[in-house]
Amino acid sequence: MFLLLPFDSLIVNLLGISLTVLFTLLLVFIIVPAIFGVSFGIRKLYMKTLLKIFAWATLRMERGAKEKNHQLYKPYTNGIIAKDPTSLEEEIKEIRRSGSSKALDNTPEFELSDIFYFCRKGMETIMDDEVTKRFSAEELESWNLLSRTNYNFQYISLRLTVLWGLGVLIRYCFLLPLRIALAFTGISLLVVGTTVVGYLPNGRFKEFLSKHVHLMCYRICVRALTAIITYHDRENRPRNGGICVANHTSPIDVIILASDGYYAMVGQVHGGLMGVIQRAMVKACPHIWFERSEVKDRHLVAKRLTEHVRDKSKLPILIFPEGTCINNTSVMMFKKGSFEIGATVYPVAIKYDPQFGDAFWNSSKYGMVTYLLRMMTSWAIVCSVWYLPPMTREADEDAVQFANRVKSAIARQGGLVDLLWDGGLKREKVKDTFKEEQQKLYSKMIVGNHEDRSRS
Amino acid sequence: MGAAHSASAEVRELEGKTGFSSEQIEQLHRRFKQLSGDQPTIRKENFNNVPDLELNPIRSKIVRAFFDNRNLRKGPSGLADEINFEDFLTIMSYFRPIDTTMGEEQVELSRKEKLRFLFHMYDSDSDGRITLEEYRNVVEELLSGNPHIEKESARSIADGAMMEAASVCVGQMEPDQVYEGITFEDFLKIWQGIDIETKMHVRFLNMETIALCH
Repeated sequence: MFLLLPFDSLIVNLLGISLTVLFTLLLVFIIVPAIFGVSFGIRKLYMKTLLKIFAWATLRMERGAKEKNHQLYKPYTNGIIAKDPTSLEEEIKEIRRSGSSKALDNTPEFELSDIFYFCRKGMETIMDDEVTKRFSAEELESWNLLSRTNYNFQYISLRLTVLWGLGVLIRYCFLLPLRIALAFTGISLLVVGTTVVGYLPNGRFKEFLSKHVHLMCYRICVRALTAIITYHDRENRPRNGGICVANHTSPIDVIILASDGYYAMVGQVHGGLMGVIQRAMVKACPHIWFERSEVKDRHLVAKRLTEHVRDKSKLPILIFPEGTCINNTSVMMFKKGSFEIGATVYPVAIKYDPQFGDAFWNSSKYGMVTYLLRMMTSWAIVCSVWYLPPMTREADEDAVQFANRVKSAIARQGGLVDLLWDGGLKREKVKDTFKEEQQKLYSKMIVGNHEDRSRS
Repeated sequence: MGAAHSASAEVRELEGKTGFSSEQIEQLHRRFKQLSGDQPTIRKENFNNVPDLELNPIRSKIVRAFFDNRNLRKGPSGLADEINFEDFLTIMSYFRPIDTTMGEEQVELSRKEKLRFLFHMYDSDSDGRITLEEYRNVVEELLSGNPHIEKESARSIADGAMMEAASVCVGQMEPDQVYEGITFEDFLKIWQGIDIETKMHVRFLNMETIALCH
C-alpha cells in the first residue's frame, strides 16, 4: 500500500493538469466565441485536414486493391433494375394488340395476357423498391475512417489500420469528453439563462436578452457537435408571423436552424431532461408546446398555430412537415396541417455531407441517447442550409398542392429526390385508398369496354 | 480472406444454376437480406415490407408464386413455408431476359419456362388445368378494387373469356360437351407466335464500376 503512494500523487497531478488545460481550451477557443457569435475558423481548418487524410487513405486502399486484384468500389447504381415508365393503360393495350390477331372490335374484354403487366410490376417492386431505400442510411463511395460506414472496404494495410486506431483514440478519448462537456455547458446555460430572463418584466429588454441567451446556447451546442454549417441566402431568413418549413433528417436540424435565427418551437411536451428544457425555454419567450392528448386534436393544433401566427410580435414558427426523419437523399410527403393556416411559408433546405458523419436518425434502429453518442463520436457534422424565398398559398391551390409546391422547391434546392410517398410508411402500411386507385384504373378499362360493347 | 474465397465459390455455383452474373447475384443478395431482415430464409410475411407491392391487385398470387413448389422445382404441388436465397434466385430467374444469342431450342425452352410460371399462377390447385372457377378467381382479384363492379359482371367477363379460350383450343364444341379446363398445351397454343418475351422480363441495369477522383 505504501508503494502506491508516490504513484498516486503523480496520477492525481497529471489528471489535474490535463483537466485545467481542457477547461482553458474550452473557454478560450469555444465558449467565448460562441457567446459573441464569432468564429476562429478552427472547425474549417479541421475539416480541410480531415479531407486530406481521407484522400490519402482512399489512395492507399486503391493501391492495395490493385496489387491484390480486388474490386474496391461498389457498382455505382441507383437501383438494380430499369423500370419501364409506361402507364398501365398503354402497356395493356400494347399486349392485347400484339396478342390478338383478330380485328380490334372483336377483342375480348379480358385476356389472359392482362396478368402480365401486374406480374411484372410485382416482380420489379420485389427486386427494387424505392421507398425502403430511403429509410436506411446513405452508402458512401469512399471510407471516412469510421468503422460504422465501412460496408465494403476490407483490411488492406497495416498503416491504414493504425490510422484507423488513431482515429478511434482521438474521437473517443479527446473529442468525446470535450463535446460532452460543451453540451453540458450549453444545456445548463440555456436552462439557467432562460429561467433568469423569465423573471424580468415583459418588454424590449427581455426580448433582447432572451434572443441572445437562446442564440448563445444553440451556438455552444453547435460546437458541441462540431457542426460546420454553411448558410446560403441569409436575406431570406424567416420573419415574424411566418412559418419556417424544412426537411427533417435528425433532431440536430433544430439546433442548426435555431443557431442562426430566433424561432418559436412547436412540439410535444416531454418528460425528463427535455421537459426541463422546454419549461425553462417557455418562460423567456412563447414557444408552443402541446400536451400528448392535444396532439391528436388537429383543430386545436391548427387554432393555436393560427393564433400565434396572427400576432405579428411573435416569432416565426419552426415546423418539420415530413413528420419523421428521412435519410437525406429525398424529401417525402409533407403533412398538410401547417399549410392550411394561411401564413407566409419560408422554406429551408438542409443537406448534410455524409462524408464526415452520417446525421440520419434511424429511430427504429437507435434510441436517442445512442444516436447522440454516435453523433458525438463522428468526425464532424457538415451541412449546408439554404433559405428559400417566401411562398404563399395561391387562390386556386388547396393545402395539399401548396405543400407539394413547397416540397419540390426544397427538394430542387437541396439536390434531393422529390417523392410522393408518405414518411409514415417507415412504421405503418400503405393506405387502402392507394391500393384501390390502381385496381379502379384497371377495372375501369375492362368495364369501359364492356359498356361500349353492350351499347353497340 | 478464407471466408471471401468460399463465398465466391458459392456465387459461381449460383451463377451457373440461375444464369445471373456475379454482380447481379450480390445485389439481389443484399435485397434478399433487406427483405428477410438478415435472416437466412424468407417467409410470406416478409413481403409485407414492400409498400409498392400493396398496390398490386394480384399481390397474393405473386407472393404465392415464390413459395409454389412447382416454381421452386421441388415437387408437383403444395407450398413451401420458407425459401432461402437460392430459391429466391430460382424464382427471379424466370424473369431474366431471354438471351437471343442462344440456339433456337434454348430460346423455345426459356419461353416455355416463362409461360409455365404464368400457368402456375392461374392454376392454383395444381391439377394441371385452369378451370372456370380458377379463371373467375383471377378476374375477380384483378377487378376487386372497384366497388362499382358487382361480382356478377366479373363472373360474366370470366365466362366470356373462358369461352373464347375454349374456341381457340378445342374449336367448335357440341352443346353438351363440357370444357374441363385449359391445359398447359392449350395455354401454349393460345400464345403461339405471339411475342411475350419482352413482357415477361425485368431488365437489369448494366453494373459498371465507376472510379472516383477526389
